[in-house]
Amino acid sequence: MWRVVPGQSLAFREWDGEAVLYNDLSGNTHLLDGAAIEVLQALRQRPADAATLAAGLASRFDAGADELSAMIEAMLAGLAGLDLVEPFPC
Amino acid sequence: MLSVVADLPRRELAARLAGPGLVLRTGPFANRIHSDVPQLADGIALLYADYPVAEAGGFADFHLSLHRAGGLRRWFRPQVRFAHDGMTPFKPLPLAQAFPMFEWVMNWCVSHRAHSSLIIHAAVLERHGRAVLLPAPPGSGKSTLCAALVTRGWRLLSDEMTLVSLGSGAVLPLPRPVSLKNESIGVIRAYAPDAVLSTPVEKTNKGTIAHLKPPAESIARAADPARPAFIVFPRYEAGAATSLAPLPKARAFMGVAENAFNYQVLGARGFTALASLIEATTAFEFRYSKLDEAVQLFERLARDGA
Repeated sequence: MWRVVPGQSLAFREWDGEAVLYNDLSGNTHLLDGAAIEVLQALRQRPADAATLAAGLASRFDAGADELSAMIEAMLAGLAGLDLVEPFPC
Repeated sequence: MLSVVADLPRRELAARLAGPGLVLRTGPFANRIHSDVPQLADGIALLYADYPVAEAGGFADFHLSLHRAGGLRRWFRPQVRFAHDGMTPFKPLPLAQAFPMFEWVMNWCVSHRAHSSLIIHAAVLERHGRAVLLPAPPGSGKSTLCAALVTRGWRLLSDEMTLVSLGSGAVLPLPRPVSLKNESIGVIRAYAPDAVLSTPVEKTNKGTIAHLKPPAESIARAADPARPAFIVFPRYEAGAATSLAPLPKARAFMGVAENAFNYQVLGARGFTALASLIEATTAFEFRYSKLDEAVQLFERLARDGA
């Protein structure tokens, strides 16, 4: 399970499939693709694992469930590296 | 009623600099300047002739002091030393570099103190009611392009620092002399033979430097904000064809943030201000080698919009 790191307000602007997001904890700004924003917004609603996120986002991405789940797992690792998300004990 | 530098007899200019201080208005700022360096008085008389001066006792945002270094230095390789509010953040420089040092110091004051604006390392000019920002690192040809546009009737808001109001999102003018380096000096002399340039100063840490006097009309309109319309990232490349390519907004955001002096300092307020700027503008990457073509392209852009 993953969640948004407490303290992140996820202020972002999205244009044409790309987004900039302000990191409240580091003060940095990140250039992200629209899919990462979708994942972050889903996690803001409630903690979830990659498979659940993949199921929720499947209709918007042209990929199989396993492939999408793997992509989201990799994305979550990247977002964790930016201190935007973190593992959430079940 | 404010007078301008040109109204002050040369003796009075020197007396204010040596005595109570010359209070010079540049855009939204009042700068009290103390100096005993003749080269600085020469530079101010030439390039700041049209700038308002306030009474010596008035309020000032910045307090600058540029004096000749004392002791043997006064006679042997004389130097100039800068102090701001009693601190000396820069190393002394050869006396001949007093005027370029003054310009760097004026920039330093703004970039370190003016945090009610987002400050971008960018030239900004206006034509037909549309302001064009030119963010770029040194060596991109930004100042050359800026100088060329100024000599063709564009309003100069700034050559070096674009101030975007955190409140209104407008660009606040800070017109100052345009800094030209090395080959650019000859390029602008050839492009605009009537332009007023200071005597080039050699062997600075940025090479040879000369400054272009800003147009009096730009200084007279220093209290009129401008509406940002375009962000153009310029790049001079020898022999390159003139090209203007759209830049996606998120990429433009990151490009401007990289060129901002105080984006990190402002935190979330900086993010919001920059996002509003990006929303309000259209961004491009621009390559050029021929100034004439560049100026024509910018004229069309300002006249016709995106």
